[in-house]
Amino acid sequence: MNEPLSILDLVLNASLVVQAVMGLLVLASLVSWVMIFQRGFALSAIRRQATDFENEFWSGKDLGELYRELHTEEEDPIGLESIFASGFREFTRSSQQSGIDADRVMQNVQRAMRVALVREEERLETHLPFLATVGSTSPYIGLFGTVWGIMNSFRGLATVNQASLSVVAPGISEALVATAIGLFAAIPAVIAYNRYAAQVEVIMNRFEAFTDEFSSILYRASHNS
Amino acid sequence: MRLTLTDISSYGVALLFALLIHAVVIGLMSVNWNEPTVSHMDLKPYYIEASVVSKNPYTAAEERQRDREKQRIENKLRDRRNTEARLKSEQEAWEKARANRPEPKPAQPEPLPETVSEPEPVMEETRPSEEAVSAAFAEAMALALREEANARKAVTDDEKAMAYVYQIQREIIQNWSRPPSARNGMEALLRVRLIPTGEVVDVKVEDSSGNDAFDRSAVLAVRKANRFVVPSDTRRFERDFREFTVLFRPDDLRL
Repeated sequence: MNEPLSILDLVLNASLVVQAVMGLLVLASLVSWVMIFQRGFALSAIRRQATDFENEFWSGKDLGELYRELHTEEEDPIGLESIFASGFREFTRSSQQSGIDADRVMQNVQRAMRVALVREEERLETHLPFLATVGSTSPYIGLFGTVWGIMNSFRGLATVNQASLSVVAPGISEALVATAIGLFAAIPAVIAYNRYAAQVEVIMNRFEAFTDEFSSILYRASHNS
Repeated sequence: MRLTLTDISSYGVALLFALLIHAVVIGLMSVNWNEPTVSHMDLKPYYIEASVVSKNPYTAAEERQRDREKQRIENKLRDRRNTEARLKSEQEAWEKARANRPEPKPAQPEPLPETVSEPEPVMEETRPSEEAVSAAFAEAMALALREEANARKAVTDDEKAMAYVYQIQREIIQNWSRPPSARNGMEALLRVRLIPTGEVVDVKVEDSSGNDAFDRSAVLAVRKANRFVVPSDTRRFERDFREFTVLFRPDDLRL
């Protein structure tokens, strides 16, 4: 009792349930941080790529050439490129078919682009539900660990004759570590979730704006020919 | 260089960063986890001061007896000192007489009667007086020890009484809900009478605070406590707990 209680001692001396809770929370924290970094990198890469692609798109380059460049890559395009590719592919295919009027072509093109848009949104939002879950549930899990620990330490107190603060204090302290870890996991997860959700929203608006612009270009092209 | 799906779904770097952050946090915690220095506050009763100020015959008798004992010890010491002084003067007289007497030193060589005869009486003089002194010292020591033991007993008795007083204070504090009109500086003195089982038989306001609600809350606090833990020793109970006064004083208020 005289040597200082290190946090490691607290964790190691905790009861099994509390230890399990702590382990779970540390795992959740670890995974959510992996997600946070991964999402951060992915979203910034997608944003950068969208900027680059828009610059290229509006530079007056031939769209057919742009499309062929995308196709030379061995992997499917993603982000804004994917929307452009699916729209352009649908446009060329529908235009080549005889007996289809321009409005029909445009409907097909818009449908194809909408599908691509949904797929991209899905891609942007990967892992965000996980972050939300960690953010909202890990305080409760931590609280559960704490309540369990305090419950045990008070139950131990009942059997002790001389009830003093130093009998319960270590138990309560180690129980509180669970809540601390829970909050430690939850706070970054909540912040990251809000931040990334807002970023996804911004990127999606950008994609939708591009979709509209691109379809108006295609509309002009189909109705002029 | 086009962005591909593998670019945005690689976890290696992210995992590395996450592990790094956790390692740093855990490291900081285990390094800087010093024992928090809790400043030990002395646990004083917050709201009221209860003091036992009973003055019943039992206490008075005991005090008188204690005084008598003290007096006796002092007398004894004085006697001892007197005897010692008397012994000393007797010794001196004896020595003088002996020095004057010619008989003890006929064998002694005549030329140096003073120088030879002087150390002998001195030696003889010290022997009996040393005995007397050590005896007196032993007596005085024994007396002092007894006195100290008495004092210690009194102290432990007081401490035990204080423990009961604290218990009573705590109970009263727990049951006391101050009225909103309580102000700093208000003081209500209550006289509480118990029966040996600790039950409250009578609560009287001895010195009102001037605020009826405050007085009533104080009386109610004692009444609610209903039964106090008191010493089972009847003598002690009679001395300190049969009747005592409690001073209610809202010290913690900032009003």
